[in-house]
Amino acid sequence: MPHEVIMPALGMAQDAGRLVAWLKKPGDPIAEGDALFEVETDKATMEVEAQAPGFLTDVRAAEGDDVPVGRVIARISETAETAGAALPEPSAPSETAKKAAASAPPDDLPEGRSVILPALGMAQDTGLLVAWHVSPGEEVAEGDVLFEVETDKTTMEVSAEAAGFVAAILAEDGEEVPVGERVAILTAEKPTAPVRRKRSAAGVEAPQSHEAPAAPKETPATERAATPPVATGGRILASPKARRLALEEGLDLARLVEAGHPQPFHVRDLEAFKTLQDARPATAAAAAQATRRITADIHREGFSEFLAWAAESEGHADAPALLAAFAAASFRSGREHAAICVIVERFGEESRHLDPDRAATGRSAVPDEDAPAPDLILRDLRHVSISSVELGAEDAPVLTIMKRGEGLAVTLECGAGHLSAAAALELVSGFTGRLEEPLRHLL
Amino acid sequence: MREITLSQAVNEAIAEEMRRDPTVFLMGEDVAEAGTPFKVLSGLVEEFGTERVIDTPISEPGFVGLAVGAAMTGARPVVDLMFGDFIYLVMDQLCNQAAKQHYMSGGKLQVPMVLRTNLGATRRSAAQHSQSLQAIVAHIPGLKVALPSSAYEAKGLMKTAIRDNNPVVIFEDKLMYQDKAPVPEDEYLIPFGEAAVLREGRDITLIGTSSMVQVAGKAADILANEGISAEVIDPRTIVPLDEATLLGSVKKTSRAIVIDEGHQSYGVTAEIASRLNEKAFYHLDAPVLRMGAMDVPVPFSPALEDLTVPTPEKVADAARRLCAGEMIHAA
Repeated sequence: MPHEVIMPALGMAQDAGRLVAWLKKPGDPIAEGDALFEVETDKATMEVEAQAPGFLTDVRAAEGDDVPVGRVIARISETAETAGAALPEPSAPSETAKKAAASAPPDDLPEGRSVILPALGMAQDTGLLVAWHVSPGEEVAEGDVLFEVETDKTTMEVSAEAAGFVAAILAEDGEEVPVGERVAILTAEKPTAPVRRKRSAAGVEAPQSHEAPAAPKETPATERAATPPVATGGRILASPKARRLALEEGLDLARLVEAGHPQPFHVRDLEAFKTLQDARPATAAAAAQATRRITADIHREGFSEFLAWAAESEGHADAPALLAAFAAASFRSGREHAAICVIVERFGEESRHLDPDRAATGRSAVPDEDAPAPDLILRDLRHVSISSVELGAEDAPVLTIMKRGEGLAVTLECGAGHLSAAAALELVSGFTGRLEEPLRHLL
Repeated sequence: MREITLSQAVNEAIAEEMRRDPTVFLMGEDVAEAGTPFKVLSGLVEEFGTERVIDTPISEPGFVGLAVGAAMTGARPVVDLMFGDFIYLVMDQLCNQAAKQHYMSGGKLQVPMVLRTNLGATRRSAAQHSQSLQAIVAHIPGLKVALPSSAYEAKGLMKTAIRDNNPVVIFEDKLMYQDKAPVPEDEYLIPFGEAAVLREGRDITLIGTSSMVQVAGKAADILANEGISAEVIDPRTIVPLDEATLLGSVKKTSRAIVIDEGHQSYGVTAEIASRLNEKAFYHLDAPVLRMGAMDVPVPFSPALEDLTVPTPEKVADAARRLCAGEMIHAA
């Protein structure tokens, strides 16, 4: 398969190049990378290298000719004999070649005039795309600066060759782009869906200036680069550590900007998010704060009797463990497979019980340091004179048992987020039922 | 523990190594019978004689070149360069010859030479005898650079330098020769490339070299009174540099100031600050600051000279501003 040698585009504003000298003769064996000919533009004279090995054939341009960019001027064939196949129309203007470059664009790219990354230096393989001066969809006039490109020697601005609209931007600021690769597409009509993506997102396109102007390789329609959130007014000033922590914790620094927090942000400024978060979802916070409070009275309690009976028959009477067991059993519905940790608080002492409803009686207490966070808090106020409580929600639902005449009063306080109304009612009724008739618990 | 001066510590280190290894010898201007520079080497010629403690003519390029040759052929010279400023005179011997022989001979040659010299301003010695030129030496691959910050460091680093098979340049601070510090009588060596954390802190890391370690320590005292907890680190050798310790500290404190008495521009402070920026960037809550000597020839006028070097107050002031989040605006 012969390889076509074209007049490359060495500069953005270049329509044609003067073939200064052939460095190989027709029929010469060519190695990839051999200098084939010298070309002069308005800026520089440079050697053009062979892109493939073979033999130089079908030479169609003479030294001194001004050759339009993209024109096939020779072939590199597998044999030294001149290939008989007809060459492309010799008078094909550069525009045709360029259009061809974009003639079969991938599905997601608009058709139009390709803007390539120009070669600014002799030894340049790539250029750093420093910054775009236009955005997708924007109208540009001929000569408008499209982007800045940096090489090892210099930074220069690249201008539009013709007026039109920026239909696609195919490489982002800061990306290293091979010389000749398409970085934008200009269209005559205003584009309906302008494209902007990172070069890395699109996969690597074949360089076009040195290659035959064949259809570009299929570019996978990958995801567009997400535009980073930028606060109005430009870049947010923040220390690297503050930025990293914000990222790790999912905090959007733009919210601090909106809240009028003074920049630059340091790590300590991230504290301000706490007040923001408290202020923001006022309704959610209110919901979390909302308290459920249910009170039930038991006129004749069986618990004391049961405790006395247990002490007599079992040889021990661990009231906190039994209360914890009753509470956990009433709380168990819907938590069949979870461990339940109950804290029993009596004045002056506190004990933690893990799955007290499943442990042997009196064996559920665990040392504080081993206990997980409590699922339920039980306050045993039977032996003090407090008759009513309204203490608000804590980290876990709180059951308070108080003396009430001959019987007991049970109060449940919890946040709405802890228990649904139905579950709260079920917990209270189950617990009071067990206090009333402890034997029910055993059955 | 006994306390001795930095001068005595250096003297002891050289004497011990000369007793241990007969190939070690000392050479330089006035090192033997003319009183010895800064009186550091007193007594050595009496013990080791003029064959191993050699007075040279006043020709730094001559005797340093001679030392490079001696080192290449099996001796271990300790060369005394009376002032660090004279480094300029021996650039070819040091940077083109000593630094490159091992590499260019494919490892066949070694240059186990110690170039002992000094740094430090505020001695009213004017612009040609007051410079701190460690950055120039540290820039050249093949040379190691040690910057002792006390008598203890000076002895341990000198002994390690003499035993090292590569050219080592040791810069002593010429204002510290009479400073005393506890130094064990038993032999010890301080390995190259291991920084010393002299003081632990939480809010900012002060990295100082040579006498700037003292400056950093005094700044840390000032800051402690204000509730700012500063960590003080002495890299001991800037080539090789113990990056791990410096990075570990900066990752903890999120802030750093690097202090060295060389001119600030293109200096040791810039190199260390740059490495911290490159390798601990996402842990920094403030820009890493350099504090070096002013970019001026060191003035002779005492009033002016004192203004050119970092001081504890200047370091503390910069640390205060960094911790307050003030200095991120530079641009």
